Amino acid sequence: MSTDNAQPDVEDESSLISVDAWDRIKHTERFVFLISVAFVLTFSYLFSRAPVISDVTQGYHGLTVTILIWSIFALGFNLLLGQTGLLSFGHAMFFGTASYATALFSIHVFNEPLTIVIVGMLSAIALGAVAAVILLRLHTVYFAIVALAIGQFLYFLASNPLEGITQGINGLEVDRTPLLGVVDLDHEYGGILGALVVDNLYLFVGVFFVAVVMFITRIRKSPYGLIFKAIRENETRASFVGLDVWRYKFAAFLLSAGIAGIAGALLAVNTQFAGVERLYWSISGDVVVMAVLGGLGTLAGPVIGTFVWFYFKGIVNGFPTLGDYWLLMLAVSFTAVVWAYPEGIWGMITDLTAALREPKTLAAKVKSRVTGGSSTEGSNGGDR
Amino acid sequence: MALLETDGLTKEFGGLTALQDVDIAVEEGELVSLIGPNGAGKSTLINTITGRLTPTRGTVTYAGTDLVGMEPFEIAQLGVGRTFQTASILPELTVRENVQVAAFAAEHGSFRINFLSRRDSFDEVQRLTDDILDTIELDDKAETEAASLPYGDKRRLEVAIGLATDPDLLFMDEPTAGMSPTETEMTVELIENLLSEWGMTIFLVEHDMDIVFDISDRIFTLHQGELIAKGTPDEIRDHPAVREAYLGGDAQ
Repeated sequence: MSTDNAQPDVEDESSLISVDAWDRIKHTERFVFLISVAFVLTFSYLFSRAPVISDVTQGYHGLTVTILIWSIFALGFNLLLGQTGLLSFGHAMFFGTASYATALFSIHVFNEPLTIVIVGMLSAIALGAVAAVILLRLHTVYFAIVALAIGQFLYFLASNPLEGITQGINGLEVDRTPLLGVVDLDHEYGGILGALVVDNLYLFVGVFFVAVVMFITRIRKSPYGLIFKAIRENETRASFVGLDVWRYKFAAFLLSAGIAGIAGALLAVNTQFAGVERLYWSISGDVVVMAVLGGLGTLAGPVIGTFVWFYFKGIVNGFPTLGDYWLLMLAVSFTAVVWAYPEGIWGMITDLTAALREPKTLAAKVKSRVTGGSSTEGSNGGDR
Repeated sequence: MALLETDGLTKEFGGLTALQDVDIAVEEGELVSLIGPNGAGKSTLINTITGRLTPTRGTVTYAGTDLVGMEPFEIAQLGVGRTFQTASILPELTVRENVQVAAFAAEHGSFRINFLSRRDSFDEVQRLTDDILDTIELDDKAETEAASLPYGDKRRLEVAIGLATDPDLLFMDEPTAGMSPTETEMTVELIENLLSEWGMTIFLVEHDMDIVFDISDRIFTLHQGELIAKGTPDEIRDHPAVREAYLGGDAQ
């Protein structure tokens, strides 16, 4: 990467200082927090109810909840692939298992939204520990394929031998109960709050979304963020400086599984249902596409990728005539974006803004790479 | 007792014997060099000692600990560091981050659960990182992406990473390969500095004979997997087997 533009002309100095300041700000955790909260608070409104904008997007509120949940899934997946360099083609196993655990716990033990989501997350972490012992002996394509195989094994296990427990293709119902016994998740707000977030369910999911974004931001700023990247770049070297690479990969795996589990559990709460299709291999494929399309190794990337994916599936799908070809159009868009911008849509956005505002932004980009690892770290989908 | 000792160290790859009954002993505070023609088994010897390869037979003892069967990271944690022949850096990380990774391993051990603590809160790691960058004179390039460094700087970063693991014994695999004369001189000064100021023990593999004969306390000569000579530079220079096998009788 060229650093030639890091020292622009003297007359540029004042604006460079402001770019520097902006750069410092956008990498602070407080900024990420504010952006993600602002995103959650405005996303549903802008996408589904704002005048003009929503006429163009043709979005609807229910889809925004789904997108937030899947964004959590994609963020968790990205922690493993984008940060640590481990490509899992079996992440549906955590998503689907957590969904089932959430439903089963709510049916047989205790039904309270926060509790069952935590149970779902823990079940994914437990599964992650078992899967990691098998998978972390393997590398590259073998890792990916065996992850896929474990996922499919669980899919068949849930659909047939364990039909008595999972109800097979009929799935399990999750009754909606008040949060902590008092807050009705279906309660709809009026006024401004109602316009922004509609109901408590959206807020419930939104709080998890912000918490996951903050959790991942902290991991990226911790020694783990650096060590995960070191493992991704050069595993041998990481080992020869004295790091127990296996344990760090194991940790990355559990963290990723747990976050994917939160998403699977939230989906069970949101849809009041857990079914075997959430273990299916195509779910694992979907999340790979979302993360890669948006931009691996970044915070905003997986969220953007998830949005685009669901935009095609949920909106373009409904267009007359064109709608029948939504998957084809998604595939073409995916190929075009990744061909031109291997760093995904977020990479495209950062490249384009850099080109537009050269040299200031290029200097900022250089600076941001320097201060925060990847050039795209820090911002969180606020550009939409 | 020697700091590092190998006894009957043998490494076979299928039918090929890469190392044959190698016995070496390195005393604390020494600078020893390993020389030998290409394919003599120099890298195999280093790889076998530092855990990348498992010996077919023989023992490796470091400060009383048997290293055979240990993982590379465990050996590194005991205080045995190494630098690689081809710059084995982390290309997409900055120079500072490259050094920092090793500094975390040195200060925090092989694994620690601290994913909720910010990196910049670990002062001891930042201090070690700054020290190393200062010593290797890469501090002005600390924020540069490692991949974009010129070749000589990559080699210096390679050495910096090795140093940041805070080793007592450092294996340096051809540290001056591909360096300019100025950089080579800097590296030689650094090595002498590591011995005198840092109290390190150094095991050097080097092709530049001027350097080897100039700074080594003792020299091991490897030829076709066998140790054919060991001794002081003067002894090695005049050693008939070395002259024949390696120096081709032309050594000055």
